[in-house]
Amino acid sequence: FVFLPSYRLICTQTCTQLCSDFASCCVNACVCLSVKFIPDFFLPVPEQSQAIVIYTGWERHALVGSDIRLSCSFFSWRWTSEDVTFSWTYRPDGSRDSISIFHYTGGVPYVDNKGPFRDRLEFVGNPGRRDGSILLKNLEFTDNGTFTCDAKNPPDIVGRPSSVRLLVFEKVPIQAGVITGAIIGVVLGLLVLIVVIYYLMRFLVARRVFSLSVSKHGKKKKEGSQQRQGPVPPADPSKIKV
Amino acid sequence: MLMLAGIVVLHITTIILLLVATIDNAWWITDSISTDLWGKWVLTKSEWHYTNLINYPDEYLQTVQATSVLACIFATLALFVFVAQLFTLPKGQRFTFTGILQLIACLCIMIAASIYTAEFHTSESEGGYGHSYVLAWISFVLTFLLAITYLVLRKKSE
Repeated sequence: FVFLPSYRLICTQTCTQLCSDFASCCVNACVCLSVKFIPDFFLPVPEQSQAIVIYTGWERHALVGSDIRLSCSFFSWRWTSEDVTFSWTYRPDGSRDSISIFHYTGGVPYVDNKGPFRDRLEFVGNPGRRDGSILLKNLEFTDNGTFTCDAKNPPDIVGRPSSVRLLVFEKVPIQAGVITGAIIGVVLGLLVLIVVIYYLMRFLVARRVFSLSVSKHGKKKKEGSQQRQGPVPPADPSKIKV
Repeated sequence: MLMLAGIVVLHITTIILLLVATIDNAWWITDSISTDLWGKWVLTKSEWHYTNLINYPDEYLQTVQATSVLACIFATLALFVFVAQLFTLPKGQRFTFTGILQLIACLCIMIAASIYTAEFHTSESEGGYGHSYVLAWISFVLTFLLAITYLVLRKKSE
């Protein structure tokens, strides 16, 4: 038994992405966007709940010829041991056999030097930070398949490996509705902008015209009062009654 | 007065036609399929099932969706602006803002229908255009006529 101030992590939202940080993870290959810590009482934590939990992504999409980073990290109640191990296995789509492509143990990473990923695999993780990510370079169509990460943190070795599915495309498919939303948003935005600018210009022009007309009106009043004392229109002689 | 009521009724009819064209999945129909814009209805054993659209040129489909939605939005906006301008416009002036909005709606639905005609179902042997497609073109004509009307009409000055 281990006496710990045991906190329970509960997910307050649905999970979407890889988690790599102890404080923001919850179960089963996802990351919580917000997390609540509920302090329990000081309870003895039974050994069963001390399983190691491994996180990878759920699915990864990539273009042919590009590189992709497959991330793997784990959550364990114990401190990160020096004997921590990471191992990646690969199962091609449609096949039932999986082969081991990467193993990290005793502080040394061992990459695939015979299999389908020879010279294309690189270890980019940081075991001290519980990160066992690998980088696959120059993807091919034959790389479609499931990659499984298994991490062990002695003495915490009981856990379930987590899998990420890799999909290699020739052209990245557009997500449903992205272009639709973009077009509608841009056009409506432009409309609002044009209306705002139009009314702003009218307001500014009206203000200028108003200030101009005030000064002109002042001048005209002076001239008008002078003109009234000017020449009287001559009377029509045929209309003068004698 | 009568003309005003007629124009408003025509405008509302145009909006309804645009909405039906956009929302109803019937741009292309065959004996057992009624498809397009948002999904596909397939008739199997006298039951209609709704499926997603697959193997469609994505960019064009989303553009048609966006422009037909925009046409509905602009037509509705034009109606509201028309009613507002009825009260705020100085006498003797034209309903230009309404006319412009209606013209943009006309342009949008024309773009939608044109792209659809050019890019979709170009090499299919059976089937034909459904009622949504026909309504889209009819609303193009109606929005055009209404736009011209708004741009020419003057507010009564008495």
